[in-house]
Amino acid sequence: MVQFRLPMLPAPDEVPWSALVNGNEVSLRIEGNAILLDVLRDKAGSLGTKRGCDMGTCGCCSVLIDGVPRLSCLTLAQEVSGCGITTIEGLADGHHLHPIQKTFTECGGSQCGFCSPGFLVVISALLEENPAPSDTEIKDAIEGNLCRCTGYQQIVDSVRVASEILASGDNVEDSTTAKSDPHPSYGGN
Amino acid sequence: MRMPPFELHTPDSLDGALSLAGDLQQSNREFDWVAGGTDLLPNYKWHLNSKPHVISLASVPELSELSETHIGAMVRLQDLADSEAVHPLIAKVSSMIASVMIRRSGTVGGNICLDTRCFWFNQSEEWRESIEWCYKCDCGTGADCRVIPNQNTQCVATYQADLAPVLMCLGATIHLAGPSQRRSMPLTEFFELDGITRNALAPGELVTHLTLPDDVSEWRGDYQKLRQRETWDFPEAGVAVLWKSRSDGSPSDLRVATTGLESIPGFHSAEAIATLTSWNGGSSVDELAEAVRKAVKPVLNTWYPPSYRRKMVKVLTKRASSGLLEV
Amino acid sequence: MSEDKNRVEGYRQQSGKLPFSRPGSGGSRKTSEPRDEDKIASIRGNGGHKHDDVVTGSAVGRPTALIDGRWKVTGQAQYGDDVRLPGELVGRIVRSKHHYARVLSIDVSAAIKLPGVVAVATGQDASGRFGVLPVTKDEHAMAQEKVRHVGDLIACVAAIDEATAREAVRLVEVEYEELEAVHDMRQGLEDSEEPIHDRGKYHIGASNVQKRVFQEFGDIEGMSANAVVSHNSNWLFAGANHGFTEPHAVVANWDPSGRLTLYTPQQVPHYVHRALADVLDIPMHQINVHRTFVGGGFGGKSDPFPHEMCAAILSRKTGSPVRINFDREEVFWVNRGRHPSRIGMNLHADSKGRLCGIETDALIDGGAFASFGHVTTYYNGVLHTAPYEIGAFHYTGARVWTNKPASGAMRGHGAVNSRCAVEVGMDDIAEQLNVDPITLRLANLLPPHSATITGFRVTSIGMRECLERVRQASGWDDKFRKLPDGHGIGIGCGFFISGSGLPIHWEPNKFPHATVHLKIDMDGGVTVHTGAAEIGQGSDTVIAQSVAEVLGLPLDMIRIRSRETDTSPVDLGSYSSRVTFMNANAAISAAMEIRQELLEAAAAATDVPVERLVIGDRRIYRKDDPAIGVSYLEALHKAQEDKGALVSSGAYRTPPMGRVHKGAGAGIAPAYSFSAYIAEVKVDIETGQTKVLKVWAAHDCGKALNPLSVKGQIIGSCHMGLGQVLSEEMKYGRNGHLINPDLLDYKIPTIHEMPEIVPIIVESNDSEGPFGAKEAGEGPLLPILPAVCNAVYDAIGIRTSELPITPDRVHRMVEARCKQEGVAPLDLSSPELHHSELQGVLEARASEHASRDAARTTDSAPSDYNNGALFGFDPEIPADEQDERWVVSVTPSSDYMESPRLAGSAWKHTERRHGGDS
Repeated sequence: MVQFRLPMLPAPDEVPWSALVNGNEVSLRIEGNAILLDVLRDKAGSLGTKRGCDMGTCGCCSVLIDGVPRLSCLTLAQEVSGCGITTIEGLADGHHLHPIQKTFTECGGSQCGFCSPGFLVVISALLEENPAPSDTEIKDAIEGNLCRCTGYQQIVDSVRVASEILASGDNVEDSTTAKSDPHPSYGGN
Repeated sequence: MRMPPFELHTPDSLDGALSLAGDLQQSNREFDWVAGGTDLLPNYKWHLNSKPHVISLASVPELSELSETHIGAMVRLQDLADSEAVHPLIAKVSSMIASVMIRRSGTVGGNICLDTRCFWFNQSEEWRESIEWCYKCDCGTGADCRVIPNQNTQCVATYQADLAPVLMCLGATIHLAGPSQRRSMPLTEFFELDGITRNALAPGELVTHLTLPDDVSEWRGDYQKLRQRETWDFPEAGVAVLWKSRSDGSPSDLRVATTGLESIPGFHSAEAIATLTSWNGGSSVDELAEAVRKAVKPVLNTWYPPSYRRKMVKVLTKRASSGLLEV
Repeated sequence: MSEDKNRVEGYRQQSGKLPFSRPGSGGSRKTSEPRDEDKIASIRGNGGHKHDDVVTGSAVGRPTALIDGRWKVTGQAQYGDDVRLPGELVGRIVRSKHHYARVLSIDVSAAIKLPGVVAVATGQDASGRFGVLPVTKDEHAMAQEKVRHVGDLIACVAAIDEATAREAVRLVEVEYEELEAVHDMRQGLEDSEEPIHDRGKYHIGASNVQKRVFQEFGDIEGMSANAVVSHNSNWLFAGANHGFTEPHAVVANWDPSGRLTLYTPQQVPHYVHRALADVLDIPMHQINVHRTFVGGGFGGKSDPFPHEMCAAILSRKTGSPVRINFDREEVFWVNRGRHPSRIGMNLHADSKGRLCGIETDALIDGGAFASFGHVTTYYNGVLHTAPYEIGAFHYTGARVWTNKPASGAMRGHGAVNSRCAVEVGMDDIAEQLNVDPITLRLANLLPPHSATITGFRVTSIGMRECLERVRQASGWDDKFRKLPDGHGIGIGCGFFISGSGLPIHWEPNKFPHATVHLKIDMDGGVTVHTGAAEIGQGSDTVIAQSVAEVLGLPLDMIRIRSRETDTSPVDLGSYSSRVTFMNANAAISAAMEIRQELLEAAAAATDVPVERLVIGDRRIYRKDDPAIGVSYLEALHKAQEDKGALVSSGAYRTPPMGRVHKGAGAGIAPAYSFSAYIAEVKVDIETGQTKVLKVWAAHDCGKALNPLSVKGQIIGSCHMGLGQVLSEEMKYGRNGHLINPDLLDYKIPTIHEMPEIVPIIVESNDSEGPFGAKEAGEGPLLPILPAVCNAVYDAIGIRTSELPITPDRVHRMVEARCKQEGVAPLDLSSPELHHSELQGVLEARASEHASRDAARTTDSAPSDYNNGALFGFDPEIPADEQDERWVVSVTPSSDYMESPRLAGSAWKHTERRHGGDS
């Protein structure tokens, strides 16, 4: 049988690749044609970065490259060698969530959660640049991200509330703080 | 990893890029340029005419200059949208392209050179195998066009980029560089039929930048884009109408260009001149709109049916011209 | 308490080391919060609910963040493709390139020789049939003899990496004999030389009719005779895809003990559990289905899927874990989205503004497999008569196989399209009667605790309040038929099941719908075992809230284990909007059992009788003196004495209900949700583009256990419904190819298309729902479609009968109207309303019914009310038992067959077993 499809093999030669992923120096060998999303998921351990469409139409794979939101599915890994890359795993400060991570849960910004990593890195960059965005600015910033669950409204709510937290300067509490005591004393009525 | 295998080259200067291109050409190794990658990489993932070598322009610093009269090919679309240096209509059009995420990667050169699109073509390899391929990517089968069958002499895939119409109306010149020569031409002469040929780029050539004439700031006008959704979607039709005004408000010069309707953008100079010479206010705009509608011949290969797109060209032309009637 | 605590007895206690510290104590919030009596009162609603006594005010009714939310926002949540096991192989699927073909041969030799390829499997490796419904198992892991749509599975490969797997797929050579494909659903009604499936003696003629339904209720003869106005429309609905952001992915692993674990983002782990056993020919106990985080389901992840079988087969062959992750395009091949449908909808109203009849004919395009289609065929009929009291209902439905990716269940399963058609019909009837469409609805509603014309037992009904609240919130009376040209406002209602009354795989009287187990050990944390599938809707959270509410505990002490079939009780998973109603009910039962044990222990510890104890925040104390009591942990440890961990099991089963005709089980539910939406739109009359400006969305969910999630479901449903009405369609081009299997051209609304949604929660406090709750996951989708269609009519006078209303379609209708009226688009007039005398009649009736409904809501034992009372019958007896003109019939008469409607023509075929050729 004549084969008209393009061969997938042999794979191209590997090249060295390094980047500062969430503050950690990562040095790997990657195939020359590798896409950043594949490198992040399969080699750099960022399974939080999601593949939704593989062609730039859902935004689930968004990451920050030197602070700028980019679609990792449409980025050649070699082109960002040496850059600082922030993925969803890098947003929280240890066990202190980024305010937008906290408000996403509390305001309903996340339902199934699959699109959340993309939204969150994009919004974190927005808030970095513009700590008090208007609704229009919020919408313009997340127009490249698709959410099928929330209808976006509670995502916009989450950004508004996160912006208030940022303005207040409050740190988001440590998620490892002690949970409720099952043996409380009488607290009055 | 859906990418077919290719070797990626990342030169760090324009000369380096061009000499690399020359070397690949001389050794008969096919290659593509990649700028922002938002057009090329999905096409590669779907195995659309991919090449064994790809030269990335991401590290070439010379191509990113931006001023009122000079737009480097590697200027990112979002930077163009945010720019206060360029003509406001260029910034506006740029802000209407795809989504903000695409615009952060996508470039001016990539948008100008956007591959033509067709729903028989922009599909995965397995999908295209199920229709036994098509003329634009025949995979060596000699396949016929799926849009207009029984003619395998022309590709009618649609040019769906937004920047070209406004830049053509502003009189932009496009500057090209290849391993052996550099050349320039009016943007209106850059595009060449058909959907496969697309433009004047010779093998190994790339777009370095666009320049705009000194009178660019004197032009006013508008761009109207037809699309289903206000982000992501390519133009199903796009009309730019630009003019210079006399002190009484009537146009002293008028240019009209369209996109999203045929394999190359349309520059409708005859229709514009006819309108200008017989300028009569509102009715002239109606006549212009009708003339532009007649001038374009979309086919069925994008989201909306061609009859609708053609009718909308008339509406879009009128709307883009509305500033002409504000005295 | 009088024992001498210092007395040493035997070796088990060592003097000098007493007392033991209390294990599990410590933590934050050292004192108990006082009871929030206002909260308790608000949860109890209008009182008299079976769960009123166990309300503690601790969790239910508060806007609550999803308890698994932090996993999602930190990237730690593992979805299907995030399960990476050591030594994994990557699986890929070889798919059909033909719509319909016999597979003559499959040559895998080149593929298997490729270095890095570990195994190739074909249909020969698994011949077992499966399917989500036991009555229509028509799927296989891979093609047995034929492929039935482009993208159908032929073989699969496992290799060391993705590139190798893709190359191996390329190298598999398949020889086909093409068969004549069926693309048009109408063609599916006809005899075919090679029907897409052969159902043996149950096959309907030689056609591609997979299921047909005929139903008549009420005064069929009278519906046209009594009508003063009628609405007739023929709808065409495009197919829609769920469009969840997570493509399907699965990991299969046979562990060293020979058991299979399947990691999969499933809405219904139990069904895939069963199907795997069938296909792999191993007992169910050898399989553990591990539900990963689910990146959106909406019905599209509720079938057992062939790729899940493939992963298991490949893993068995290779001895390694196998991961299969779909490209977006493959998601469209597996589909199971909303059926493309042709629906004929006739409505008739009499001189009193009563609905004397609804005639519905629904032909639905099932694609290549049955999936849930048997049910969908019924749902297209039976779910759109309520909330209205009607004089007659005539339904003909048929589902046909075509050579497309299979349709299935999608949010609002089977109810969405026919609901849209009937609600647009209501708008037209109101127009023809010159009455307000909201008033028309308010004067024709069934009361609470009534039976619909199809015999459904409806309990709580918040429909009237939904209508009144959106009418007021939107300023309807100042806007309807009064907005400037191009602007419009429209109303639509909805009605949906809160869980299906019939479990698919068993008799409901023999086995419960849902079972929940609790376990509490010394640490005091509560482990909840449930098989309800958390798919982002908040099922884990609502179950945790229910348990927390009963035990008076904060949510941080509840942990849900809902992932694995090894540990969770059998559950029907997350579909048919059943989880809150059924699983929360089961969880409450289980918690009540432990609550009783804790109360008894506290009674023993405090010497206060159980009846005088109350449960508050982590304390059990005397009602009249809250200072006297024990902590939760003290009570727990007391209860644990001599037996260790407290365990309990709670189950939920529906009460007997419904009538007895064939198909009577379809659509019965323990409760129903109701909703009414008003949409305001702006239509660009020159381009046909519709922009939805604002939506007021009232939904009766019985009781909002988690108002944050209920609002999220309402808004999200609006988004999905807006997609179907405005832009989403699976487009099939010439030759039947799906031309938009991607997220660029399958046009899901973006943030810029989303209007402001004003969610309005209506709480009818259902007597059988958990704390009064009903569903909020699917019903909220229904009204948005007709609300937008009706608003478009108000705006430009165009009555659509085709979805989506993409601009080109609207423009085409505008052109047609312009041509008819001889005017330019911008000169088209929009409709006007001048009330007829009937308006007053309807207002009076609506007001009378409002009082009737209010009385029935508070009545602890309301009398029976059967559909038909509005037409003069004794409400306590079904009308068909009072008047012979009222019928219940499920087979067409020969008279009907002389001129059947479209789907009705499916009855022209004789089922093979009745045709003498079985």
